[in-house]
Amino acid sequence: MVKLTFDKGFRNAVLSIAIKTIKLRYKNSLLGVFWSMLNPILFLVILIIVFSNFTSIENYALYALSGLVFWNFLSSSILQVLTSFIDNSSILKSINLHPFSFPLSATLAALINLLLTLIPFFVIMFFLGYQLNWSLLFLIPMLVVTSVFILGFGMLMGTLNVFFRDIQLLWNTIIPAFFYFTPIAYTADMLPESSRGLLKLNPFYYFIESFHDIFHKSKLPQMNNFLMCCALALVSLVLGYWVFKKYRKGFISNI
Amino acid sequence: MKSNNDIMIKMSEVDICFYIQENGFVSLKDFLLNIGKYKFLQRKYVLRDINIEIRRGESIALLGKNGSGKSTLLRAMSGIIEPEKGKIKVNGKIAPLLGLGVGLEYEMSGLENIQLSCALMGMSKAETRKLLPEIIEFSELSEAIDWPVKRYSTGMMSRLSFSIAIMKQPEILLIDEVLSVGDIGFQQKCLRKVEEIKNNGATIVFVSHNFKEVEKMCTKGALVNNGSIEFFGDINEAGKRYDQLFIN
Repeated sequence: MVKLTFDKGFRNAVLSIAIKTIKLRYKNSLLGVFWSMLNPILFLVILIIVFSNFTSIENYALYALSGLVFWNFLSSSILQVLTSFIDNSSILKSINLHPFSFPLSATLAALINLLLTLIPFFVIMFFLGYQLNWSLLFLIPMLVVTSVFILGFGMLMGTLNVFFRDIQLLWNTIIPAFFYFTPIAYTADMLPESSRGLLKLNPFYYFIESFHDIFHKSKLPQMNNFLMCCALALVSLVLGYWVFKKYRKGFISNI
Repeated sequence: MKSNNDIMIKMSEVDICFYIQENGFVSLKDFLLNIGKYKFLQRKYVLRDINIEIRRGESIALLGKNGSGKSTLLRAMSGIIEPEKGKIKVNGKIAPLLGLGVGLEYEMSGLENIQLSCALMGMSKAETRKLLPEIIEFSELSEAIDWPVKRYSTGMMSRLSFSIAIMKQPEILLIDEVLSVGDIGFQQKCLRKVEEIKNNGATIVFVSHNFKEVEKMCTKGALVNNGSIEFFGDINEAGKRYDQLFIN
């Protein structure tokens, strides 16, 4: 079986698939990359209309937007990584390219797509009152850690999805529920003390809260939240790669 | 100096399995309800105890009925499938030509697809750039190379993907029934190209149901039947035995 080496050929293949994915997403569309912005903006308007009267939080619009942007990144890119093996089934069956390249390039494509949309989002955030400061630099390690989490978690689910297509349906079903389980439309301290602990069972909580800190509070993420993100990323990568490695031999017969 | 007797592909005591859910789980619910009761993936042997040595410069025809495991054998040689047991040693750059149209993106142009396919096959950007004019010329697609592939006819698509696959001078070429594409002119051009690669010293393993085509090009034949290689040797003898499969 093909060994995993991060040689020039492999890197070039991963990059080419990622660029192709982005090119194809916006081919034949007039608004192009702006479609990726439309969804969060639409949600933002809804959230402002519905929730801003209930909350005393300072600059709710900025809070909601920063949560939405990264929530979209997390939820949509996990789905893309999850389906990456199945999407590339014909390549998997006839080209001796290591299958790890598919989740990897899906993650990379999602990250590049995010960076493209971040530029116009910055403009909007400035309008909403974001003030540029040094804590923004912490976005870089945050994005790295988040991408590792997406890769690992997506690969875990994606491997299972090869055998049970329920996984992608399940993901599409529970992701709206997770949206309300994560403090995006509301803030954690709006909840009664007793149920606040429940939020911490949600892995997305730590990521979204860290992005909130950077963009809404203009400060570094809380250290324990960030460490939790790192731990989640590491665990999901190890677990995801382990499951992938164990069941990879069944891919050809089941895809 | 590599001698002519170099072994390019050596398979010893190789078993190859499919891994399927024999209990017929179709959904997660069934799986969860049955967890612990069964093993998750059941083995189904496709090929058993395969021993074969292919030397430098040889061209081998794989013969056998549909579903006998010829393609699986090629996949194992190219490293796409891992054997359950045994050893596969491959000595040299291998180019598997297992399916046409693999990885073609319909929304992108022929040219973009060439670049993408080359990358998928492990070529660097520089290598691709060097081969690009040759590939375009061989495909005879001329100005159609800039059209999106969705406007291509089936024949044009095969021309494109065959041209991509064949241009990288491989040491070992695995071909799975893909030569019967395009019009007769292009078919013959492809065969000539394969011949040329062979004459340059490459080793070729060839799956085809067109015995005439195989006979001319191959020196040896292997008959795959009932999950094993029943015969490996002279091409004409292999052809005879292959015909006998259909008499009974």
